[in-house]
Amino acid sequence: MLSPEIEAHLPDVQKPSRYTGGEIGQIIKDKSQIAVRFAFCFPDIYDVGMSHLGMKILYSLMNQRENYWCERVFAPWPDMEEIMRQEHILLYALESGDEIRNFDFIGFTLQYEMSYTNILNMLDLAGVPVLQKDRGEQIFPLVVGGGPCACNPEPIADFFDLFILGEGEEVNLELMDLYYQMHQKHATRSEFLKAAAQIQGIYVPSLYEIEYHPDGTVKKITAHDHAPEKITKRVITDMNHVYYPEQVVIPFIEPIHDRVSVEVLRGCIRGCRFCQAGFLYRPFREKSAETVCKQGIALCENSGYDELSLSSLSTSDHSQIEQILDQLLEYTEQAHVNLSLPSLRIDNFSKSVLEKVTTIRKSGLTFAPEAGTQRLRDVINKNVTEEEVMRTCKIAFEGGYTTVKLYFMMGLPTETDEDIIGIADLAQKVVNLFYDMPDRAKGKLQVSISTATFVPKPFTPFEFEPQTEKAEILRKQQILKKAIKSKKIKASMHISDVSQMEAVLARGDRRICSVIYDAWKSGCRLDSWEEFFDASRWYAAFEKNHLDPAFYANRTRNYEELMPWDHIDYLVSKKFLIRENQKAHAAQTTPPCRESCAGCGANQCLGRPCF
Amino acid sequence: MKDYRIIFQKKGIVKYISHLDLNRCMIRAIRRSGLPAWYTEGFHPHLYLMFPLALSLGTESICEVMDFRLTEELPPEEISEKLNSALPEGLHVISVREPHMQAADITAAEYLVILSAPEIPDLKSVLENFTNQPEILIQKKTKKGFREIDIKSMIIIKNIDIHDADLYLTVILPAGNQENLNINILTDAVQNYADKPILIKSACRTKIFSENYQDFF
Repeated sequence: MLSPEIEAHLPDVQKPSRYTGGEIGQIIKDKSQIAVRFAFCFPDIYDVGMSHLGMKILYSLMNQRENYWCERVFAPWPDMEEIMRQEHILLYALESGDEIRNFDFIGFTLQYEMSYTNILNMLDLAGVPVLQKDRGEQIFPLVVGGGPCACNPEPIADFFDLFILGEGEEVNLELMDLYYQMHQKHATRSEFLKAAAQIQGIYVPSLYEIEYHPDGTVKKITAHDHAPEKITKRVITDMNHVYYPEQVVIPFIEPIHDRVSVEVLRGCIRGCRFCQAGFLYRPFREKSAETVCKQGIALCENSGYDELSLSSLSTSDHSQIEQILDQLLEYTEQAHVNLSLPSLRIDNFSKSVLEKVTTIRKSGLTFAPEAGTQRLRDVINKNVTEEEVMRTCKIAFEGGYTTVKLYFMMGLPTETDEDIIGIADLAQKVVNLFYDMPDRAKGKLQVSISTATFVPKPFTPFEFEPQTEKAEILRKQQILKKAIKSKKIKASMHISDVSQMEAVLARGDRRICSVIYDAWKSGCRLDSWEEFFDASRWYAAFEKNHLDPAFYANRTRNYEELMPWDHIDYLVSKKFLIRENQKAHAAQTTPPCRESCAGCGANQCLGRPCF
Repeated sequence: MKDYRIIFQKKGIVKYISHLDLNRCMIRAIRRSGLPAWYTEGFHPHLYLMFPLALSLGTESICEVMDFRLTEELPPEEISEKLNSALPEGLHVISVREPHMQAADITAAEYLVILSAPEIPDLKSVLENFTNQPEILIQKKTKKGFREIDIKSMIIIKNIDIHDADLYLTVILPAGNQENLNINILTDAVQNYADKPILIKSACRTKIFSENYQDFF
């Protein structure tokens, strides 16, 4: 219910539907019957947050409980923020229009590091103290966070009451149940937090003390008040019986991903050493073909969407992918639905799968070889050979494709100039392949290469590695530019100070909290938006706190160093990460989990081998 | 195959759905409704949908028009019932009919604007003075920047009423392909003319006309 005071300002902002609610699929409840209210906050604007699958799952899941009400909250665009601050409008939830400061939970999903300042800004706009220590003993609102970046929550520990580690389908409800009981008994905030710390997957940072060595590395992490020494993430073991929504909120404006998604599997069998998601979401678990099809069809029918995406880290690794495609295509063709597979892999991209995809839609193909030479691909364990790239491109060209996008990273461990030149060579070979084909498709070929700066992340075998410095990346970009000879190859190379900040925030310790706080105070927000990111403000915040970004981003850690996140257990053992790091430096690959188990440790939660 | 013309209202917060977004919203509603919609043929079939006259963002309406096509003939009541069950709150089908006129036949539209100005004792005479100016100049945004145009001849004031201190203005403006004046341009001009703030409480399109102010249908 949008209040008239807010509505009066909507003619003055861009895309006012961001702020109204009222979409098909939103869940409205009778406030007087509600015991626990949860404000699900996405720390970015509506258009971005409404594309996020995890929010859709947890929103529907919490609302399944009759007496719990979960509502959506997004960061306002600066035009709306200005009005809110001027007119003293506090941040509200879209469904009820109520100020979230009176909610029981204010939950943030932590999807990328560069959204951290938005969290502070949203709390401030909500009228909630930004620092946890300033929130007093009243039990609500509890500021909680979850999602991939919760694997190293230290840089934002000062702003949160607690973090939820791993998959939220079970633990979110357990947490709300505990709150419901304790709230009725008039428990204080600290009483609740001590009790919540006993739930597996709940990390209460205020119960842990961090000590540092004089050189700035972490010396000791001590748990207090019977909080567990290691906090272990939560995992859903049965993907066929876990809750999945068959109705979602359908935005009026066009979000970034304007489609319905059915999740087909969690985890990844690949073990690419740079990929944090590939380790965080282990172990590998599939939904059955039957479940995928049933959920996908229901989502299309209930939403009216004409695009269905099969979502996962690597959809073609599903053991029944052909069966899923056959069954779904039978439905989608007659129902005028496009089927999209956003994460196909080169190596098992079979001709029959391609044919199935192309019967629906013919657009560009996107591959991510990630590195230009076989040696470097072996280092990062991207198990893709040049031959496979060529074979897939050949199939694609035969199928009528004329645009190919190739994604690469720069600044990977052990990378040399030869590896950079290899990027241009690989693209050139794709160009040559096209023109060597007598029966090539009409139309202009375009091979786009895009390079991003590598950011080492926690819980990957590269968590020990330094990030390459900006000057060196710039030099490598020049090498790549010179190495590109064909006009058919278009290169876009991103460089910005964002990568270094991302590296700092990803592997930072608790001292980074004050840097984030000062950066936000000086005006940083929407840092993932190029037009708003301001490196100078960030560097000033480091200086003010006598901290050096290079210490976090560009320093090599030895295997013995205590990482700021070492009290957090994502089931993947540090021994395994060290083993993988050593293999990387020896350019040795590790086969996909389905072929042989590399012993990462994630299957301990299943009590059986993954395959 | 059968063509239908839907007359629908757009009231409340759905007035903030832009024209393009309304198109997407309607496509999904038709798909959810289970009506046998007709899709274009060819390489990329899409659901055929046409809005003869766009409505500006923030304006309500009780007379919006949408044309679409079904693969079979159905009773109008069934069509409106099914569509209404699939539409978001605020969008509501009033009637279903066969299209007679074409988009090009649209010439004008009528609006009801509710204004309030607590600081102006006699809003009615301010408005009368506004309309009695020898010319009403506005800055119109064009590709080459701003151009000054006189909109006086385009405005037909049908009625001015006062209810509970609010002023109800009924006005007819040109609409359609030949000449078109956005209601917001008029209300902006009124607001700029007055020396005290005027609040536009609501603006609602109430009629769409064809030639000689006959109802468009």
